[in-house]
Amino acid sequence: MSRGLTATGIEVAFGGVHALRGVDVAVEPGKVAGLIGRNGSGKTTLFNCITGFVRPTAGRTTVDGVDVTSLPPDRVVKHGIARTFQTPRVDPRATVLSAVLCGFYSRVGASFVGSLLGVPGAWREEQRLHRRAEPILERLGLAELRGREVGQLSMGLIRLVEVARCLASGARFVLLDEPAAGLTAAEQERLAEQVRAVAASGVGVLIVEHNIGLVRSLCDTATALETGRVLCAGTPEAVVRDERVMRSYLGAIGDLAATEAAA
Amino acid sequence: MSFPGQRYLGPRPNTLIIAVCVLVALPVVLTRPVWTDSAVVLGVYALLGLSVGISYGQAGILTMSQGAFAAIGGYAAAILTTRFGWPPYADLLVAMALPAALAYGVARLVTRLSPLATALATLALGSVIEILIRNADALTGGYIGLAGIPSVGAINTPAGYACLAWGMIVVTVFLYENLMCSAYGRALNVLRVDQARARADGIDVPALMSAGFAVSAAVAGAAGWLYAHYISFLSPESLDTHISISALLMAVIGGAGYILGPIVGTLLFDGLTRLMPAAELQGFFYGAALIIILLAARTGILGLLAGLARRLRRPDATPAPRAANLSPQESLP
Repeated sequence: MSRGLTATGIEVAFGGVHALRGVDVAVEPGKVAGLIGRNGSGKTTLFNCITGFVRPTAGRTTVDGVDVTSLPPDRVVKHGIARTFQTPRVDPRATVLSAVLCGFYSRVGASFVGSLLGVPGAWREEQRLHRRAEPILERLGLAELRGREVGQLSMGLIRLVEVARCLASGARFVLLDEPAAGLTAAEQERLAEQVRAVAASGVGVLIVEHNIGLVRSLCDTATALETGRVLCAGTPEAVVRDERVMRSYLGAIGDLAATEAAA
Repeated sequence: MSFPGQRYLGPRPNTLIIAVCVLVALPVVLTRPVWTDSAVVLGVYALLGLSVGISYGQAGILTMSQGAFAAIGGYAAAILTTRFGWPPYADLLVAMALPAALAYGVARLVTRLSPLATALATLALGSVIEILIRNADALTGGYIGLAGIPSVGAINTPAGYACLAWGMIVVTVFLYENLMCSAYGRALNVLRVDQARARADGIDVPALMSAGFAVSAAVAGAAGWLYAHYISFLSPESLDTHISISALLMAVIGGAGYILGPIVGTLLFDGLTRLMPAAELQGFFYGAALIIILLAARTGILGLLAGLARRLRRPDATPAPRAANLSPQESLP
């Protein structure tokens, strides 16, 4: 089977409401795939579906050929898919380091009872986790902040901490839900830089983004959704210039030229 | 500059504090017989409080069955030693394993419910266990109870039991702190604050909550074991729902989320009420303390102190926003 994360023919219905009707999306390792669409078009539902929070009524999700459809979220993580949330879900009192350490959970070697008893193996495992957190913190430029409480950071930094937490799980595919929302231009640039670096290390990224400028500069492919269907897919340039996408999506915030000027 | 793992390699602060306090206080306490007896009973309550801390403070299960778990531990000890002639050390294992296994099974069934429903399920569990104990005459002695439970080996004086009780507390705090400094402890903190976040981290939420509840029940079972051997008599009234609620109150008052919180709560309030002349007034003090704590310091006495310490260190710092503000309900089924 093919390498990569693929979701094919995904359908999700909440009661009589069809949130997704036959959506296909694919993420290749080392590539950034963008997902655009108006609010309510099904982007977050697709994320919830791929990560096991919502069961699809039809369709299949595979990771490198392994079927992960309908697995619960904690099992999906073990197959190398990690996600962030549109609104960061963080404990504001936790430190940056401990937030990142939480990401390691799915591949902790020590047992529950061993950790309780404090056996030497559990001690070594804990030290190993701390050592492994360092390069991740370095990579996202968070090393200096490791002792800070997450609640005291800017939204941009909190989102970076969330990305770091995803990477700690050993994810080969990360799903970022509007990571640039509410960020300053400088923070967006920094985030984009880090996402590129993450992709360059071989991780496949699926990103929900409203900022068209960011989608064009960051993504290798793009998919536009509308009311639960794929409107258009291809290179970001082609998708952004697609007439249907412009009508459905960009029409709401002005024409393409205005968007380009803003970006 | 800190190095990775420093916090883990450093001494366990809570274990150190409780060990030093016990070593300093015990020689003084042992000089007076009344204090010695109180030290044993408070030790039993403190163990129960710690069990609430693990369950409610960490795994997020508001438990009202700790007294019943202690009763299982106590009756296991009583039955094994008086009826089957087990040596009074060997029965500790059963007294801890039995409630732990029951707690794990029940938690797997009920933790999918809302927190409030789970709390009510633990209350119901406690009542069921109490009824079973009353009705299983052949095994438990029914309403009359079981007498003549032997003392634990060479330990047969109140002073010996006081040392045993507080030794058990130090060991429990050590294990508890081990757990909280591990990936599982961090995971418990995550799932208590936000279950969706926990699932996204790869945590099997029902399994981990149940494991936490099982550990909590094991500690309660150990408390019951100690109580049974010390008092040498056990009846259905010895460790009932009233004890479960008291343990919960003590833990909340001291600070259920803090490792030493339940011990502080137990010592302060049960200790103080023991000094009060009228036993009937105890309920009044418990209630008043609980209302004050819920109004003034939701995180208990230790939470209040920690907040003050934080403000002293950084006078300009504004309190961190609550989790709820940062993660408004994103609807996840």
